[in-house]
Amino acid sequence: MKKRILAGVMAAVMVATMVACGSSGGGSAESAGGGNDGSGGKTITVAIWDPNQLEGLQKIADEWGAANGCTVEFTVPGWDGYWTMLEAGVSGGEMPDVFWMHSNNAAKYMGSGVLLNMDSYIEKDETIDLNNYFEGITELYTYDGAHYAIPKDHDTIAVIYNKAIFDKYGVEHPTADWTWEKFAEIAQQISDKGAADGVYGTYCNTGSNQDTWYNIIYSYGGEVISEDKKASGYDNPATIEAMKFVAEKILPACPSPDSMASTGGDTMFLSGLVGMICQGSWTVNNFYTADNASDFEWVMMPYADVNGNGQADADERCSIYNGLGWSIYSQTEHPDEAWSLVSYLSSKESQIKQSELGVTMAGYIGCSEPFAKAFGDMDVSAFVDIEEQGRLVFRPYSKSTSIWEDDASQALVPVWSNPSLMEETLKEIAAQMNKTLAEE
Amino acid sequence: MKKRMSVRARTEAIWGLAFIAPTIIGLLILNYYPIFETVWQSLCKTGDFGIGNTFIGLENFRTLFHDKEVFRTLFNSFRYAVLSLPLTVAISLVLAVLLNRKMKMRGVYRTIFFLPMVCAPAAVAMVWKWMFNQDYGLLNHMLGRKVNWVTDPAIAMIAIVIVGVWSSIGNNMILLIGGLQDIPKDYYEAASVDGSTGVHSFFHITIPLLSPMLFFIIQTGIMGALQLFDLPFMIMDQSSRAWPSVKTITYLFYEYAFEKSNRGYGAAIIMFLIAIISLLTFLLQKSEKKWVHYD
Repeated sequence: MKKRILAGVMAAVMVATMVACGSSGGGSAESAGGGNDGSGGKTITVAIWDPNQLEGLQKIADEWGAANGCTVEFTVPGWDGYWTMLEAGVSGGEMPDVFWMHSNNAAKYMGSGVLLNMDSYIEKDETIDLNNYFEGITELYTYDGAHYAIPKDHDTIAVIYNKAIFDKYGVEHPTADWTWEKFAEIAQQISDKGAADGVYGTYCNTGSNQDTWYNIIYSYGGEVISEDKKASGYDNPATIEAMKFVAEKILPACPSPDSMASTGGDTMFLSGLVGMICQGSWTVNNFYTADNASDFEWVMMPYADVNGNGQADADERCSIYNGLGWSIYSQTEHPDEAWSLVSYLSSKESQIKQSELGVTMAGYIGCSEPFAKAFGDMDVSAFVDIEEQGRLVFRPYSKSTSIWEDDASQALVPVWSNPSLMEETLKEIAAQMNKTLAEE
Repeated sequence: MKKRMSVRARTEAIWGLAFIAPTIIGLLILNYYPIFETVWQSLCKTGDFGIGNTFIGLENFRTLFHDKEVFRTLFNSFRYAVLSLPLTVAISLVLAVLLNRKMKMRGVYRTIFFLPMVCAPAAVAMVWKWMFNQDYGLLNHMLGRKVNWVTDPAIAMIAIVIVGVWSSIGNNMILLIGGLQDIPKDYYEAASVDGSTGVHSFFHITIPLLSPMLFFIIQTGIMGALQLFDLPFMIMDQSSRAWPSVKTITYLFYEYAFEKSNRGYGAAIIMFLIAIISLLTFLLQKSEKKWVHYD
């Protein structure tokens, strides 16, 4: 067991070294091309984990490379491999110059001096004004008042539904003007009518937090963690109300907990066994490339009519958002070039281009409009519209997110089989989470 | 009496060392260094990326002995060992005896039973996960009934045992066939002259003479079973209500060391497991004299 993990780490080190060797070799070969600002011929290595984004990002980075006489080399080891590579890279000193940062690991990397403090660069650079980027993402990559990454993108949540299923059972298609109550009602209709075919209305598992139940909690006015990140929000009355709604209205319209533990939501949706699911903008390509993509339609997240005035107020329609950041290795040999690249990738023009190419929505506020039309016939404006018509809530986090988020999902497993346990379980989760937060 | 090495012997020794150097260096770097590092980490509150470890003595172990999760997962590991080992040994022994006779297509059968050993464990787990799927899986389809293979806490461990036994009988069978072929035919002939029948000979000739091989299989089997990690990890989803009943202690180690970035406590858990395995191995070695016959 240990040996196997070690072998994995060693393999990652080897890959990292090979990448590093390859890059220095490439650098000398390219130097003939020359540069126009004295930094010519260098190779900047960039690591990302999502192969779907490679093509678009490479395109934007190559523009920078051509203007500055540098080569940009991407490594895409996949999510798990990515963090193993960085982990081994930090100990071994072989790191990419520029790489993505994510909310799960940001605190750890910022606190260990692995990331370059960008403050002095931000001050000198006119392209970058942090006020232009989503506040939650900027804040996420701030540690002791210093900035360690520039927001690369943001993602939101929307509902995707299968028109074929709705038409088959004669259920009216959802429109953006719908409440969570309505969502549950439609889902229940499909589950009732589709029972004989094994078709269900929707899908919500214990781990579907960011894409489903976190959104419901915040729409109902609840919270997962307090604003100062010192206390759990699971015992907040509004949170309890929202989760009770999940237990009593959403879960009955879902496949059985045992089925959900055996088959993933995307798989069931793509196989035409589930009518609608909440999903993040980072998954669009998955559905866009499906065989029956023309059956799929995106619609904005429902709202919770908390004040009972019968219309969607911006506070009542929430989408959790999250965003990656471009960060730089603190010991990089080319800090100036690396910064220049990050600055270019984060500029308004590149951020718009990133949306146009359908890579992701922008980290720069107001640059995501083109993303809505980036997928041909598939209209994904639901992800962009909620920015205006709803409230974007940054994905709840603290230094120990990975611990309390996992604890909560685990604690909810028995509740999924027995929804009446919801309230007492939430209080237990809150107590456990407060303990974790106190130890941070 | 000690003799000085001749020049020739010394050259030979140097070359010998040179040839095994890659293995020695590999062992030192890949096995021994990590072992000492793990011991050290288990006594530390570890910092990120191995920077800033602070020595806290036996604090991790004190937490460990009060951690119910540790004992629950350890119990699961033992349960797996107790359920899978007798089955593995019994089935591979029967198969070995059957496939050691002269019969048609013997090679074909041996290959079939050995094939699971050739497959990557992760691939094996993925295929079984698909077969166990309660709604769309092959097993339930064939049985015509709905068994919650990996989501019912009462059945999940059995499902894991099935896969574990299925994938290890091949290797054990080959080892036992090797052992069987070392037993001289004369013993059976002599016994049959004295009136011993097949079953009687099996228990009084085959088993005792096979005991060294059986001992080896049981010993490595216990070690392997207590270190079970990949099967539950790959086959089960953590949102399954059966997960707590199959979560093994090595998974708990993985969770602390890699998911919750608490290397120190993870190291303490694995040291605890090493201690238990060492103790079991020691007891087995002691029992060896009682039932293992080397001639």
